[in-house]
Amino acid sequence: MKKKLISVLLAAAMAVSVTACGGDANGTTATEPAGETAGSTESADAAGDAGSADGQTLTVWCWDAFNMDAMKEAARIYQQDHPDVTIDVQETLSADIQTLVQTYAMSGELDALPDIFLMDDQVFAKYLQNYPEVFADLTDSGINFGDFAPSKVANSVADGKNYGIPYDSNTVIACYRTDYLEQAGYTIEDMTDITWDEFITIGEDVKEKTGMPMLTNVQGEPDLLNMILQSAGISVFDEEGKISLVGNDGLKEAMNVYMELVEKGLLQEQTDWSGYQGSINNGTVVGTINGSWICSTIMSTDQGEQAGNWAVTNMPKLNDYAGATNYSAQGGSTWAISSTCSNYDLAVDFFNTTWAGSTEFYDNILVGLGAIGTYLPAADSEAYNEASDYFGGEAIYAKIVSYGSNIPTINKGIYWTEEKNALGVALSNVLSGAADLDAAIEEAQSTVEFTVGQ
Amino acid sequence: MMKSKFTGVQRRNLTGWLFLLPATILIFAMSFYPMVQALLLSFQTGVGNNLQWGGLSNYKRLLEDTVFTTSIKNNFFYLIIQVPVMLVLALILASLLNKKDLKCKGLFRTAIFLPCCTALVSYSIIFKTLFSYDGYVNTVLLNLGLIDSRINWLGQTGTAKIIIIIALIWRWTGYNMVFYLAGLQNIDDSLYEAARIDGAGPIKTFFSITVPLLRPTILLTTIMSINGTLQLFDESVNLTNGGPANSTLTMSHYIFKTSFEYNSQFGYAAAMSYVIFILVAILSFIQMKVGDKR
Amino acid sequence: MRKLRSFGIYFFLTIVSLISVFPLYWMIAAATNNSTDVLAGKLTIGMNLMQNLQSLLERQNVGRAFGNSLLFSSILSLLSLLVCSIAGYGFEIYHDKAKDTLMSILLLAMMVPFAATLIPLFKLFTGMHLQSTWIAYILPTISTPFLIMLFRQSARSFPTEIIEAARIDGLGELQIFLRIFMPTMRSTYAAALTVTFMNAWNNYLWPKVIMMSETSQTMPMLVANLASGYSIDYGVLMLGVLICSLPTGILFLVLQKSFANGIVGAVKG
Repeated sequence: MKKKLISVLLAAAMAVSVTACGGDANGTTATEPAGETAGSTESADAAGDAGSADGQTLTVWCWDAFNMDAMKEAARIYQQDHPDVTIDVQETLSADIQTLVQTYAMSGELDALPDIFLMDDQVFAKYLQNYPEVFADLTDSGINFGDFAPSKVANSVADGKNYGIPYDSNTVIACYRTDYLEQAGYTIEDMTDITWDEFITIGEDVKEKTGMPMLTNVQGEPDLLNMILQSAGISVFDEEGKISLVGNDGLKEAMNVYMELVEKGLLQEQTDWSGYQGSINNGTVVGTINGSWICSTIMSTDQGEQAGNWAVTNMPKLNDYAGATNYSAQGGSTWAISSTCSNYDLAVDFFNTTWAGSTEFYDNILVGLGAIGTYLPAADSEAYNEASDYFGGEAIYAKIVSYGSNIPTINKGIYWTEEKNALGVALSNVLSGAADLDAAIEEAQSTVEFTVGQ
Repeated sequence: MMKSKFTGVQRRNLTGWLFLLPATILIFAMSFYPMVQALLLSFQTGVGNNLQWGGLSNYKRLLEDTVFTTSIKNNFFYLIIQVPVMLVLALILASLLNKKDLKCKGLFRTAIFLPCCTALVSYSIIFKTLFSYDGYVNTVLLNLGLIDSRINWLGQTGTAKIIIIIALIWRWTGYNMVFYLAGLQNIDDSLYEAARIDGAGPIKTFFSITVPLLRPTILLTTIMSINGTLQLFDESVNLTNGGPANSTLTMSHYIFKTSFEYNSQFGYAAAMSYVIFILVAILSFIQMKVGDKR
Repeated sequence: MRKLRSFGIYFFLTIVSLISVFPLYWMIAAATNNSTDVLAGKLTIGMNLMQNLQSLLERQNVGRAFGNSLLFSSILSLLSLLVCSIAGYGFEIYHDKAKDTLMSILLLAMMVPFAATLIPLFKLFTGMHLQSTWIAYILPTISTPFLIMLFRQSARSFPTEIIEAARIDGLGELQIFLRIFMPTMRSTYAAALTVTFMNAWNNYLWPKVIMMSETSQTMPMLVANLASGYSIDYGVLMLGVLICSLPTGILFLVLQKSFANGIVGAVKG
C-alpha cells in the first residue's frame, strides 16, 4: 500500500520534472535562466573578481517605459566604448521595488537585489534610514555631486554621505490649455506669477464660460496640497523630523485654498489615475499642476487637436503668506547602487560616463523622450533651448530648469507617506463636512504620531 | 508480515493517515512554520530591522489604534451584507442552472463564471469608470430620473462601501456557484424524481432536498467567504485605495500599509494579522460546530 | 403558469448573465480602441486592435510571460489537485475524531494574511537556496486547506456502498481512490481545477518576490507593468488584460460540460 502511494507520488513528481525539463529545452521557461542569475551572483561574490565575465552585466530595476528608455539610452552610449558590458534593464513597479527591497533587507538576502535600482525621491530618505545596508556609499566614487541640483542631491544624503545619483526633475509646472483660456478671454500671461486668489477669480470666470474645471486631482491624494505647502516654504515636519500639523498656520491657509478650489468646482477630484489622465487626454479640464514629468502624460493623448494648444507656466503662490513663491517640487526619482552590486567599479564608471558625465546623453533623452534631468551642465546645451511645438512653440525645458533654482527648501523626513495619508483623510473629512478644519488637522496630527510612535 | 499484524480496520486507518500525509506536511512547512515566525514577530517592536522584544505591547497598541478599529468595522460591514447575499444568489443560480430541461445552460454558466477570471486591474478600472462622476451609472440614473444630480459614488463614505459590496458580489457569485453546481451533480436525480411524484413544488424541493444535501458545500463556501471577506485586500487597494477618509479601508490593506508603505513595523503588522486570525478562527469554529454534522 | 415561470427563469438568467458579461465586453471593446477613447468610456468596437497589439508586442515579451504563467499554473494545479484530493478523500472516508480535529487545525493555515507570512516564507526558501526556482514558485500553494476541504465535503456524498463493494472485489484502498473515486467525482475535479488554475494564474506577490529574474515574468506582472506609469496606454493595457483573462475563461468553458454528468451516470457507466 505504502509502496504504491510512494510510487504514484514519484511518478507524479517525475512527470512534473519532465514537463519542466521539456520547457527548458525550448527555452520558454524561466527556471533555467533564473537559476543562472542566482548562480552567477554567488560565483561573482565568491570570486570577487571584477574582470570575470559575470561582472560585466549590470542589472537595473526601474519603472515606466519612459525611465526604461532613458536607461537603455545610457546603456547604448556606454556600450559604444565598452562593447562587452551588458546593461539588463528590467521593468519593476515603483511600489514593487519598495516591497522587494524591504523583503530582501528584512530577510538578510541582499544578494537578491539588482545592481542598480531607481527609487522614488519621496521615500529615499526613509529607506536610507531604515535599511542603510541596502545602499552602496557613493561619496568617494568620483561622481561629482556638485553637478546636480542641490535640492535633488539632498534626497539621497545621510550623515554627509551620498547614496544616490539624481535623475529626473521634480520641478512643479502649471500646464494650461491655451485654446480654452482664450475662449474665456485669458492668455497664459494672465496665469503667470499669480496668487491663488487671482487664480480662483480667473478660474470661476473660465468655468462659467467653458463649463470646465481648471484642475483635476486624484481624490484622497493630497499631492496638490503638498505642492502648495512647499511653494510657500511651509514644513509639516520640524527640524527633528517630527510631524507638526497642529498650530501650523501655513498648513491651514493652504488647506483653505484647496477646499475653496474643490467647493467652487475649480478642482474636480478624480477617483484614480485613469480618471486624472483621462480628463487631461480627453480635454475635459483646462489644466493641471504637477511635477514636470507630467509633460509625457499630456503628450500621450490621441486627440491630435491638443498639439500646440498647451502652455507651461509657474504655479500660483499662496497669496500674501510670508515666503510664498510660485515654485515647488513634486515626485522625481534617484538611482541607487546596491551594496551587493556585482561590480561596483563598473557601475560607478557607467554612471560617470553617462548619467553623471555626459551632456550628450541628457540631450538625447530630452529630445527623444522629453526626460528632464537635474544634471546642471546639461542645462546650458542647445537642446534645452529648443522650442517644443506641442507646447505652443516655447522652449519649455529651459523654462522648467530656470524654475528649479527658485524652489523653497522645507524640512522633509522619513514620514512622508504617513503624512500624505493623514492629510488625505483630513481633506476628505473636511470636504464631506464630517469634521471642521481644526478638528481634522488635530486628528491628522494624532494619527501620524500614533502611526510612527512605538 | 504487515497483513498478519494489523486487522483490516487498522490497516485502513493507517492508509487514511498516509493519504493525508503529503498535504499535511506541506501545510505545516509552508503555512504553520511562517505563521509561528509571524507570531513571534508580533511580540517584537521597532522599525525595519531594528526589532526589540516588546511583550504584549503591540497588542495593547491595537486597542488604541482608531484606524485599525475603523478597518475592523468596515470588514464586518462587508461581511454581514455581502456574504449572505452572494451565497444565496449563487445557490439560486446553481439550482436553476442544474435543471435538466433548461436550454443554453453552458452559455449561462460560463457568462456567470466569467467575472472571476477577469483580471483585477481591468475589473477595477471598469468599475471605477462605470461609477465615476461622469460615468455611465450616473448618466443612466439621471436619464431615468432616479437621481437629481450626479453622485460621486466612490468619493462618499456611504456609497463607496456599497460599490465595494456590489463589486464583490459581481466578482465572486459565479465562483461560489461553481462549487454548488459541482455539489449538485453528486445528488442522485431519483430524489428529485421522487419529490416530483410526491407533488412537491420547486421551492419546496429546493428547501427539502437541495439545501440539506448541499450542506457540506454550503459550509465550505461560508467559511471560505468569511475568510476571504475578513482578509479582503484587492478591492480596498484597487477600487478606493481605502478612501475616502479610510471609510473603505480593510484590515489586510492597513496591515500591508504598516508593513510596506509606512516606516515598516512588521511586529505591529503581525499582531494585527493575528487579530484577523482569531476572528476568522472563531467564526469558522462556530460554523463547523453548527454545520459539520454527518 | 408553467410557461410563465419558465419565461421568468430565462429572463432572470439573461439579466444576470448580461450584468456578468458587460464588463468583459467593455474590456474587449477597450482592447480595440485607443487610449483616449477608452478613458472617455467608449463602448463600441474600434479600429485600433492591430495598433494595440503591435505596441503590446513591441513593449512587452507577451509570449514569455504567457508561457511562464501557463507552465507554472498547470504544474501547480495538477500537483495541487492530486495532493489535496487524496487528502480530502482520506479525511472523509477514513474519518475519525483525530482526523476531524486535524482538518480543523489545517483550516487555520489560511487565516493569517499573506503580508505577515511573506518574509518568514521567503527566508525559508532562501535558507534552502531555492529562490528563483520553479519549486519555490509552486511549493507554498500546492496544499491548501480550501482544496482539501472541498474534496472532503464532496466525498461526503460518495456512497459508502460502492467502497464496500470494491473492497469485496479485492481492490486496494489506493485503487479505489484512483479508479473509482477520481472518475466518479469528475464534476468536483473540474470545479477544483478551474479555481486552482485561476488562483495560480493570478498569483502576483509571491512570484514577484521569489522569482528574481525578469525571465520568469508572468502575465499578471506584465499587466501590472502596463497599468503603471505616467502615461498609461489604456487600449494596450486592456488588450493585455484580455489576453491574461482568456486561459481561465477557456478552461471553464471546456470543463463546464463535466458539471453536466452526475455521479449516478458515472458509476453506472
